[in-house]
Amino acid sequence: MTAWGESQLTQAQTKQLLAVFFTIYFGAVFLRVDYFPLSWVPMYGLHKTKETVTVGVGDKAFRDEGFVAIRANGERLRISSRLLNVPSANFRRLYAQRAFNNAPPQHNRERVGLIGFNRWWYETLVGPDPKLNRNYPDTLLKSVNRTLGYGPSDRQRIVQLESHLDFASFSRDKLNRGDVSNPLVERRVAIVRPEGTILVGPNGNRIIAGYGLNAGKSGVNAIE
Amino acid sequence: MNSPARSKSVVDRFFFDWFPAEALGAARFYFGIGLAIYLTIQFNQLFQISAFGAPFHYTLPIWYFGLLGIDHITPWTIYAAYAALMAACALFTLGKWTKPAIVAIILAIFYLKGIRDSISGDVHHREVPIVVCLLLFLFSKCDRSFGLDARRSPKPIEDWEASWPLRAMQLYVVMFYFWALMAKVRLSGLDWFTGGGRIQAVLLSRSLRDGFNPDGSVVNLSLGYELAQHPNIIFAVGLLVFFFELLAPAILFVRNIWLRLLFVAGATVFHQANWFLMNVQFYFYPFVFVTFFNMAAVTRWVGGRLALKRPLSAAQEGV
Repeated sequence: MTAWGESQLTQAQTKQLLAVFFTIYFGAVFLRVDYFPLSWVPMYGLHKTKETVTVGVGDKAFRDEGFVAIRANGERLRISSRLLNVPSANFRRLYAQRAFNNAPPQHNRERVGLIGFNRWWYETLVGPDPKLNRNYPDTLLKSVNRTLGYGPSDRQRIVQLESHLDFASFSRDKLNRGDVSNPLVERRVAIVRPEGTILVGPNGNRIIAGYGLNAGKSGVNAIE
Repeated sequence: MNSPARSKSVVDRFFFDWFPAEALGAARFYFGIGLAIYLTIQFNQLFQISAFGAPFHYTLPIWYFGLLGIDHITPWTIYAAYAALMAACALFTLGKWTKPAIVAIILAIFYLKGIRDSISGDVHHREVPIVVCLLLFLFSKCDRSFGLDARRSPKPIEDWEASWPLRAMQLYVVMFYFWALMAKVRLSGLDWFTGGGRIQAVLLSRSLRDGFNPDGSVVNLSLGYELAQHPNIIFAVGLLVFFFELLAPAILFVRNIWLRLLFVAGATVFHQANWFLMNVQFYFYPFVFVTFFNMAAVTRWVGGRLALKRPLSAAQEGV
């Protein structure tokens, strides 16, 4: 090297450099490495055909006001993207996905269909499947309290977050005909507390995270 | 080129015999302009963060933030990092302190991407090919032509020294499409494409995420919602995507400018459609295709056309 990266590479050395470079980048494809700046997959590469397609139907005005929250002292408030100082697109994901214990796409696909060698290195070097024992709502609640500066014994701390969202379920048969009319629409509320998260829906309540639940479950079968 | 092609291997001809020396610096110049715009599009949502507001604690820090123990946003640093990023892009474009500028751009991308993706944990891929191209510019002699640093260069670079970095960028850019197809097939088989498949599900999800207006229309992405009701069209679009991604590597062996322009046009339509149907923010990504052309010749050709002097065809100019 004579100066900043000003190499005097020969053609043979250049080919060696390219071989190393592409071995790393394309090797990541075969090993299914998805850690920036290496990647093997597009964001929405995972798809499983199901009898129904369930999607969240947002209420932008309600969401803009934020999570319905309760402090330890009983006070009710709304926690918006502005209060948390995050972009609205990120807040939408926190509100409509993490609160309902839905994983980001990379967690959903990370261990799907791995061959033996790739499963071995993931489990040895990375650890267990992030979808197991997942508890995204708990991470969210802790993040909210830390962001707002509330400690574990603070009476101002947030002890409950609620995310209210409609979910529309479309049958595959109707979708195959292009018919999106009259989906089954249900209002569900994710109630996030330090001990766990309950999903309140028309068919009753269901624990989706915490409360000793040791298998990771999605709150609703919604795509991101 | 420097030596008879018949004495060279396929690899040599692929990497070393494609572009003249002038192409690398010109590609850097136009790539730099596109880069500033593209990265502004990628990170402008961070400007919703108040510089002196609450320091949000990440829910799922990206892997290198986890390693470094960065667990919250220091809001004012977003603005400092963006200013540094734009300054570095300007220096890179002009070819002044080019290599340090590339390092600064890469560091700024890591930092701003880390902030954006760690808030809710969705790691996007929109910066992956950009960083690959920047690394290849870093390893190359892109500072030795078409820029301010070049004025103090003792001697011009050779054709092969300009050719290999651009060919390597092309290789990664087209393989990014090809691997995307392989990944879909590895994860989902042909389910991704059959019927409405994944495309229909994403169209519905994206168009309904902000809900309906009082008149029953969707708040955003109405075209995507409309398209979700036409599974046959979606299937046809899916087939086009399938074949585009499958055959993308073939463009690496095409010298005909019109075929290369057709490929770029197809990719551009693909990214634009993803934008206005699904709000996927890849719409300015086609700027990377400046690496597919001899931009010095393009500059001469456009300059000649603008000056109404000796109008030559693009092919005559060696584009």
